[in-house]
Amino acid sequence: MRFTKFSFILLLAGLCLIVALLLTACGKSGGDKGKPGETVSSNDNSESLFTIRYRPKWHPQAQFAGVYMASKKGFYTNYGLNVITQSVTPDEYALTQLESGNSDIVLIDLITALKATADSTWLVNLAQVSQKTSIMLVAKKSRGFNSINSFNGKKLGLWQSGSSLISEVFLHQNNLTMQIIPVNWSVSLFLQDVVDVINAMRYNEYHQLIQAGLDESDLFSITLSESLGTIPEEGFYTSRAFYEKYPRQCRAFAEATMDGWLYAFSNQVETVDTVIEVMNQAKIRANRPHQEWMLNQMKEVVMGDPANIGKLTRAGFDNTVALIKDNFGHQTKIKYEDLVPYANQK
Amino acid sequence: MQTRSEDRTLAYQIISYTFIFLLVIFIAAVLITRALFANITVRNSLQTMQHLAHEKVYHVEGRLTKVQTLAKTSLDFIRDFNPEPTALNEYLLNIISDNDEISSICMGFTEAHNESSIVHFSVRRRNFSRHLDFKDYQYQDWYQIPAISGKSSWIEPWFDASGNGKWIVSYAIPFYSRGVLTGVLRFDTELSYLQDIVSSFTMRDNTYSFLVSTTGTLITHKNPDLVMNHTLFSIAQEYHDDNLKKLGKAMLKADVGYIRVKSESPFGDSWIYYNPLPINKWSIGVVIPYVDLMKTTNLILVIQTLSSVLLFLVIAIVVYTRIQSVVKPLRNLTIAADKMGSGDFETDLPESDKAYEITKLTLSFKAMQQSIKEYIQNLTITTQEKDQIRGDVIYASEIQNNLIPKNTVHPFGIKELRVYGILEPAGDIGGDLFDYFQVDDEHFCFVVADVLGKGIVAAMTMTMVSTLLPYIAPQHREPGQILKVLNTFLCRNNLESNFITIILGILDVKTGVLEYSNCGHVPFYIRKMDRSFTKYSETHATALGVFEDIEIGTQKMHLNLGDEIVLMTDGITEAMNSESDFLGNEGLEKILESLPAPNPEVTAKILHDRVKLFAKDATSKDDITILVLDYKHPGVLGVPGTS
Repeated sequence: MRFTKFSFILLLAGLCLIVALLLTACGKSGGDKGKPGETVSSNDNSESLFTIRYRPKWHPQAQFAGVYMASKKGFYTNYGLNVITQSVTPDEYALTQLESGNSDIVLIDLITALKATADSTWLVNLAQVSQKTSIMLVAKKSRGFNSINSFNGKKLGLWQSGSSLISEVFLHQNNLTMQIIPVNWSVSLFLQDVVDVINAMRYNEYHQLIQAGLDESDLFSITLSESLGTIPEEGFYTSRAFYEKYPRQCRAFAEATMDGWLYAFSNQVETVDTVIEVMNQAKIRANRPHQEWMLNQMKEVVMGDPANIGKLTRAGFDNTVALIKDNFGHQTKIKYEDLVPYANQK
Repeated sequence: MQTRSEDRTLAYQIISYTFIFLLVIFIAAVLITRALFANITVRNSLQTMQHLAHEKVYHVEGRLTKVQTLAKTSLDFIRDFNPEPTALNEYLLNIISDNDEISSICMGFTEAHNESSIVHFSVRRRNFSRHLDFKDYQYQDWYQIPAISGKSSWIEPWFDASGNGKWIVSYAIPFYSRGVLTGVLRFDTELSYLQDIVSSFTMRDNTYSFLVSTTGTLITHKNPDLVMNHTLFSIAQEYHDDNLKKLGKAMLKADVGYIRVKSESPFGDSWIYYNPLPINKWSIGVVIPYVDLMKTTNLILVIQTLSSVLLFLVIAIVVYTRIQSVVKPLRNLTIAADKMGSGDFETDLPESDKAYEITKLTLSFKAMQQSIKEYIQNLTITTQEKDQIRGDVIYASEIQNNLIPKNTVHPFGIKELRVYGILEPAGDIGGDLFDYFQVDDEHFCFVVADVLGKGIVAAMTMTMVSTLLPYIAPQHREPGQILKVLNTFLCRNNLESNFITIILGILDVKTGVLEYSNCGHVPFYIRKMDRSFTKYSETHATALGVFEDIEIGTQKMHLNLGDEIVLMTDGITEAMNSESDFLGNEGLEKILESLPAPNPEVTAKILHDRVKLFAKDATSKDDITILVLDYKHPGVLGVPGTS
C-alpha cells in the first residue's frame, strides 16, 4: 500500500494533534502545586478538581477525623476539591510553609495564629474546629498534689508549641512559679515521676495516662477552659493572598471538612475504623478505646457551641487576645473581622 | 389421661426409676469430680506456669543485665580513660560487634557539646555511625529522663528512626563532667530479641507468654496487632474486663500472682500467672487458656460419661431380661385370671415358678379358685332353694287372695247392703283379714282382723281364721260367742302364739240391728248421710289367741238408713310418712271429714289413696285393710246394680 503525500501530511497532523491534547491534559492535572513525597490525596480522579495542600498539626488520630471522613465520603470531591495531606510539622514551621506557598491550608491553634499576626494581617481563619481548649494540668494525688498551690516550685512538663502559652497564662494568673521542663508530647516523664505536673490534652495525653493504669480518681486535674474562659483552639488557616485568590475553594474546604466532622460524630464506629486504618497506614500506634475516647472528646469541643459550629466566635477571639495581652503584653494587630472573613455572614 | 400400658410394665418402671436415680448420682459425681480435678489441674498448671515464668524472667533479665553491665562498664571506661573520639567510637563499635545483645549505642551530648553526639548501630552485622543533632533527641525520653532525673533508666520501647530503624529497648545513663551534665550514654537492644525469648518455651500449644512495660504497654504478645498499640488497660476498657485491669495494676506494682480473666478480649477465658523483672519492673505474664487447662479433665469426664452410659445400658439389658423371665408366670397367671373373670373357673393355672413369691402367689390363686368354685356351687343350691320357697310363698299368696271375698256391689244379692273391701299386704303374703258372709238369709256377718306378725305364720293363722269363721258363726250367731270359740281354737292350735285383734259384726239386714264385738282391734266409724261420723272405740275383750278363758261381750246398736260402717286395721292409722310421722286417728278423721256422701267403694278407694299419698315416700311396713259397708242407702234401694 502506498501513501500519497497528502495522506502523509494528514497522518502527521493527526499525530501532532494527539500529542498536543495529551500535553494539555497533563498540564491541567495537578498544576504547579503537586509536590513529590506528599502522600494522601482525597481523590485519585484529580483531573478537573482544584488541588489544596493541607498540612495537619499532628500525626493521624481521631483529632483529625473530620478531614478523614470528608475525604473518604467524597465531600471534598463533591465540592470540587482534591485535598493533599502533607507531612506533620510544628505550628511555627507550618506557618513558614504557608507563607512560602508550600502549603495552602494549615491546621494551627488560635494562639499561634495570633502570635503570627502580631504585626500583620496576613492570616485568614477558614473554619474553627475546636471551640474551647482541651488543655489540662495533671498531677498525681499520690505525690501530694491536691490543690493549685501544691504546684508551686514543682516541675511542669510543657509542650513546645503555641498552646503552651495557655498553661503559662494559668500559672501567671495564679501566681505559680514552676520549673518548666520542655517536653515533646511524651507522658513517660510524668509516669516515671521525672516531672511532677504535665500539660495534657483531655482527648489524648490524659487518656494515655488512664490507659497506663492510672484512674481518674488518682489524678488531680485542672481543666483550663473552666479557669480561663473560652479559648478556641485549632482551626484551619490560610494566607490572605491565597484566600483572596481562591475564596470559593477555601470556603468549600471549610464546609466539606465541617461536613466531615458532623458525619464523623453521627457515625462513630465507621469513623474510628477509618481513623485506625489511616493510623495503621502511617505506622502509628493505635488502639480503639483511645480513638473512641478522642472522638468523643472532640465532639465536646467541636459541638460545644451548637450555634457556631465551625466558626471562630468574636467572644472566643476577644477572650484569647485579652488573655495573652493581659498576661504577657502580647499585642496583635489583626482584628476579628480581618481574621474571620465569614464574620458578617449569618 | 390414661398411661400407656408399656409405660406401666415392671421392666419399664424399674429401668426408668433406676435410670433417674443413676442419672442424679452420675451428674453429682461428674460435677464433684470436675470441681476436684479442676482445682488440682489449676494448681498443678499454676506451678508449671510459675516455673515457666521464672525461666523467662531469667532469660530476659540475663539479656537486660548484660546490656546494663556493658553500659556501666563503658561509662567507667570513658570516665577513667577519657579516650579520644576516634578511639571511643572504635571501642563502642567493638562492643556492638562482640555482643549480639547490643544493637546500637548512642552518645547524646548536651547542646553545648552537641558536635560530638553520635549513634553507632549495626545492620546485618555491618556497623554504621551517624552524627546526631541536639534537636533530634532533646525531647526524647531516652535523653530527657536520665538528663532530668540524673538517674540511669530503662526506657519504654521506642522506634529508632535515626538509628537502625527498629523497635529498641534502651538503657540510658547520664554522665557528668565536674558535676555538670555532659550527656547521656544509651545502650540499645532490639525489642524483637526480647520478643523471641518471651515467645519461646511454651509448655503447651496454646500457652503463651507476654511482656508488659511499666506503663502496662504490651511489649510482646502472640497477637502482633496488640504489641506497642495496646496496654492491658486499653484492652480492659475495650472489653470491659475488670480482672484484666486488676492484672494490669498488679503487674505495674511488680506483684507476683495469678488471676483468671474471662471476657471476649484477646486473652479470652484464661489463667494468667505474672512475675516481674527485677531489673526494670517490667512484668512477664504466662497465659494458659482455661479450655486448654481443662482439656485433660474434660477428656476424663467424657470417658467417665461414656463408660457410665455403657454400664447403665448393660445393667438395663440384664435387668430387662431377668424381669421378663420373672414376670412370665405372672403373665400366664393374668391370662388365667382373665379367663376366670369371664366365668371359666375350670381353667388351668400355671405351674409353680422358681421364684418363691411367684410360687406363693400361684398357690394362693389356686386356693382362691377352689374357694370360688365351692362358693358358686353352694350359691347355686341356695338359689334353687330360695326359688322354691319363693314359689311356695307366691302360691300361698294366691290361696290367701282367693279366701278374700271378691268385691261385688250387693254381696250375696242383698239389696240392703253395699260392701267394698281392700286388702294390701306389705309383702307377698299378709296377716290381715277381712271377710263377710251370710249367717242366714237375714243376717250378714262381716269381720276385720289383724294377726300379729307377718309372713307365713301370720298368713296361715289368718287362713285358719278365715276358714273357721263361716263354720262356727251359724252355730253360735252371737259375735261374742263366735269369737270365744275362735279364741279357744287359736289358743289350742296356734303354736307360734300369734294373737289376733278382730272386729266381728252381724247385721240384721231387715231390721238394721247390728251386734258386734271388738277384741283389741282399732276403732271403727259409722258415717251418716249428712257426712258426720262417729267413732266406736270400745273393745269387748283383749286380742284373741292369748288367754283361752276369756269372756267376750257383744254390743248391739241399730243402724239407720244410709249409715256407712268404715272398718280398718292399724295399717291405716300407723301409716308413716318420710318424716316418720304417723297418720294417727286425727289424720284419719280429717280424711273422713273430707269424704263425699257414703258410698263404700268411693269411701274405701279415697281412704286408701289418701293413706298411700300420705306415705308416698315411705316403704309400707304394715298390711293395709279397709272394709266399708252401708245399710239401706236410699239412693240404691230398689235400684239393683247402681253404684
